[in-house]
This record gives sequence, C-alpha cells and structure tokens, in this order.
Amino acid sequence: MDSLLISLISLGVTVFFILGVPIFLVIGFWVVGVSLVIDFTLANIGVTLYEGLNFYGLLALPLFILTGDLINAAGIAKRLVDFAYALLGWLRGGLGMASLGSCGLFAAISGSNSATTATIGSIMHPAMKESGYDTRFAAATIAAGGTVGIIIPPSIIFIVYGFMLNLPIGDLFIGGLIPGALMVFTMMLICYLLSRRNKWGTIAPFSPKKIATTGTKAWLGFLAIGIVIWGIYSGAFSPTEAAGVTTGFCLLAGVFVTRELSLKSLPKIMMRSGQITGMLAPLIAISIVMQQVLSQLGAKEYITEVVTSLGGFYPVLFACMIIVLLAGTVLESLPNTIILAPILAPIAASIGVDPIHFAVIFLVGDAIGFITPPYGLNLYVASGITNIPYLKLLYYTMPYLAALLITWVVVALVPDLSLILLGGIGK
Amino acid sequence: MIKSVFSRIHDDIEKWIMVISYGAMASIIFVEVIRRFFFNQQAAWSTTIPIYLFLWLTWMGTSYNTKQRSHLRFSEVRDRLSQKGQFLTLILDAVLWYIFGIIVIYFSIEQVQISYDNFAIVQGTDDVMQWWFYLATPLAWSLLLYRVTRNLMEDIQYYKQGKPLIQGKMLDD
Repeated sequence: MDSLLISLISLGVTVFFILGVPIFLVIGFWVVGVSLVIDFTLANIGVTLYEGLNFYGLLALPLFILTGDLINAAGIAKRLVDFAYALLGWLRGGLGMASLGSCGLFAAISGSNSATTATIGSIMHPAMKESGYDTRFAAATIAAGGTVGIIIPPSIIFIVYGFMLNLPIGDLFIGGLIPGALMVFTMMLICYLLSRRNKWGTIAPFSPKKIATTGTKAWLGFLAIGIVIWGIYSGAFSPTEAAGVTTGFCLLAGVFVTRELSLKSLPKIMMRSGQITGMLAPLIAISIVMQQVLSQLGAKEYITEVVTSLGGFYPVLFACMIIVLLAGTVLESLPNTIILAPILAPIAASIGVDPIHFAVIFLVGDAIGFITPPYGLNLYVASGITNIPYLKLLYYTMPYLAALLITWVVVALVPDLSLILLGGIGK
Repeated sequence: MIKSVFSRIHDDIEKWIMVISYGAMASIIFVEVIRRFFFNQQAAWSTTIPIYLFLWLTWMGTSYNTKQRSHLRFSEVRDRLSQKGQFLTLILDAVLWYIFGIIVIYFSIEQVQISYDNFAIVQGTDDVMQWWFYLATPLAWSLLLYRVTRNLMEDIQYYKQGKPLIQGKMLDD
C-alpha cells in the first residue's frame, strides 16, 4: 500500500514539475507526501531547513557567486575575454573558442555554471553575432561553455559534494583541474570544426604583441585565479576563506585599480548575487530533507542492490554514470548531488573507484546536466540573455553535448586525469 | 512622508535585509581571514555569526524570488498553455506555497521556541542569542506568504481583465 501511495506522490510531483511549479516546491511536496505516508515527522523539515545550511563550508556558495558578479562589474571578466580572443582569434572559429576559453578562465575565479554562462554570454554573444556566427550556435557555445564553471576550481558543487561525503574540498578542487581543462579543449575542437565547415566568424591576424598587451591588462584576473588555486592548494585558506579573500580582492581591484566599480553600485551587485543565492540555497536545504526521507525509505539499499547485481567494474561504474545523467536531465545540479551522491559514492567505492575520482566523474556528469533537456539550467540562462527560443538553442547545443559525453567517458576511464595532480592513483 | 517610508519598506524589505546580511557576512569572513593570515588573530565568532547571516540571506532571498516569480522551474509547458491554463497553474503555485509555508512556519517557530527557552547563545559570543537568527526562517516565510498573496491578487486582476499573465524571469536584469 505504501509503495503504491509513494508512486502516486512521485507521479503527482512529476506533473507539478511539467506544469512549471518551482522546483523547490516539487521536491518539498514529495518530501511532505512521503513523510506522511511513512510516518516520518514533518518537524524534520523545520529543523533541516536550518541545520542543513548550518555549515561554514557552505558559505563559499554565496561568496563565489558574489565574486562572479564582482569580476564582471570590475571589468576583470572583460579583460580575460580580450586576452582569450587575442590568443585564439587568429584561428577559424577563434571568437567562439575564445568564449569557451573565457568560460574556463572565469570558472577559475567563480564557482558557478550559470554565472559563467550569464557573464561570458552577455559579453561574447553580441560579439559572436557581429562577427558572422550563427546566433543560435553562438548562444549554444556559451551555454555549453558554462558547464566547466563547476568543474574547474573553485566550484560550488564540489564544496557541497565534499560536505555531503566528508571529503577534503581542496583535493576535490585539484581533481577537477585537468578534466575541466579537457572539457574546454574538447568544446573548442567542436567549435573550430563547425566554424571551419560553416565559415563562421572572421579571422584576426596573429599578434604576439596583442597577446602580451591583453595578457598584461588581465593581470588582476590571473592574480585572482592564483590566489584561489594557491590558497586552497597550499592549505593557506579553506575554500570559504579563499572565497572571502577573492571577493574582497575583486571588490578592491574594481574600486581602486580598474576603477570600473563604484561603491554606489555595490548593493545592486549584491542583490543580483543574493537573488541567485536565494534560488540555490533553499534547494540545498530541501534536497537534504529529501535525502533523509529517501534514506528512511531504504532507497540506498535498493539502488545499491540493483546496481551491484550488474556485476563487474565497468557495468557498475557505467550504471552509476547513467543514473547521474538521467537524474541530471530533470534535476538541478545541487539536488542531484545531494540526493544521489550519498547513494552512488559508496557503490563506486565498493568496486574500487577512488573517492576523489568518482567525485569528478559524478560532477562532470552533473555539469553536463546543465545542457541536457528537458531541464538544462544553462540553456535557460543562455536563452534568457540572447532571446533565442529554448528548443532552437537546444538543437545547436547537441554537438557540444556529444563532445562532453565523450570527454566524460574518458575522464571515467582514465583516473589519472583526476588524480595525477594529487599524486596519482592510490595516493 | 510616512506613507512613502511604509511603501519603501513594503517594496524593499527583503532587499535591505539581504544586502545587510550579505555585506556583513562577506566582510566578516574577508577581514578575519586577513587578520588571521597577517596578524595571527581571529575572533571566535567569525565562523559562527556568518553562518547565521547566511540563513537570513537565504530565506529573505527565497521570499524575494517568490515576489519576483524567479524561482527555478521548468517553464516550457506552462508558457505554451492558454491564459486560463496559465492562470490555473499560478493558482496551483499559490496553494502549494501556502501549504508548504504553513508547515515551515509552524515547525520553525518550534525551533525558535526551543532555542529561546534554552537561552542558547551563538558559539564564540557571550550574549548573542541564537533565536535572533533562527527567527529568519519563520519571519521570511511569513513575508513569502504575503508576497504569494499579493501575486495571486495581481494574477486574478490580470486574468479578469484578459491581460497576459506575469510569468516572471530568472533574474531582475
């Protein structure tokens, strides 16, 4: 009887999702419905909406979101974009590749996929359009490019993953460096091939002088990247502290060095970041409640039994990956991580996958979920800033999606890509 | 004058609380890291107070996003519904917010009460009470339900007048 009711509740909230009910409420009503069925106290909701967020490491989330908006307002993002264009603009599809490279650089200071797409997209999409690219392809490029936001450190979702599974966040960040760079290069290759075939974009002359000039102008961006990576890698700062230092650095740099940021504009910038925090943080809290209810239901044991019954290393690993990918098509990345990581990570560990390597596999899959239909957040963001309909954008994202899926499999099959910087397998 | 002050509070209360808590949280973390790094000094409350400020930011942000109708959702089907269909889904949203909001307010007040009764103090401080911060959840959710009501009234008015209904967008700008 209980399982029938739970199935009906799950079906009901799926209808809510399709009808466009906010995802927070979709998860919330599943939690309320199932809690009532299995007699799990609703008081847990009141406790976890507070306790779920009571973790110092989680403060990196609002801080890295704010950093993203500050480097944009301070003109640092634009300088990084100029540098990336000087470096790649002499190739066919150079501006598109520069967009992807800029996404990688932006991701190394900020920690969010959507912020990466929103910031780089608002700068690069008009430029790509003007330069003769298909406007839908240009929008698809920034939507796909944004996926590296959570893989190249720092990353909000790595922090949440580390929090859920008690893994060192610094190690997770380092693990994401090479796979993130690989994602950028694979997407650049796709951009180059498609631009060459369709003769999109114009080719700028190769100029070492321009590279040097723009590179020098972007020094603040490189310094910010350096502070984050060095601070966390050396252990000088915790990820939250690194986020705080980078936020302060970008603010001071914007006010006193680039002088493009006025203190008067600060409340508006903080409101923008606050609005994003107000979307994501409640999702974290409610997803933790859902994870607890799933745990009461014995979902972990059930999924473990089904997946491990496949037998063998590769079938189990690929089954875990497929679950992440399928869930990512409908779930936002944070709920996906909070709900699935505690279930799948122990399964992966049981077949001998290094926990840091599996975290990277899991989160690359999660990042790909940002551009998978029906619910791909980056597609919404890119559609919002370019006014290109969601479905048209989706079509042009497909080549990037295919490239990212192949990269994902490579990341899964070659553990050293994630672990070499940490001393290799069995470190 | 009084009307104008009230009107600004009415329109912007979430914004003010979000900016204050965000600014205070980021400043405390930045200043205290610098103090620790260069002077080997750090206030004991610098790792606890920011978490509580984050609570205020989060739940006021939730209310603000409700006001702006900008919570994350799958919009492809709803955008293609008739005006009546869209109106019904907006009513569905409101009903769901009410039910969930009442559950949250009821049980989070219980948390505030427990904290108040136990004289719970924020770690690293002598006299900062935890319940001041716990209050964020029930207060913000009450405000959220007020915003839901306002939006619903607006939807009913638009629907009656045959105007296109407001679906909201992801970010303000």
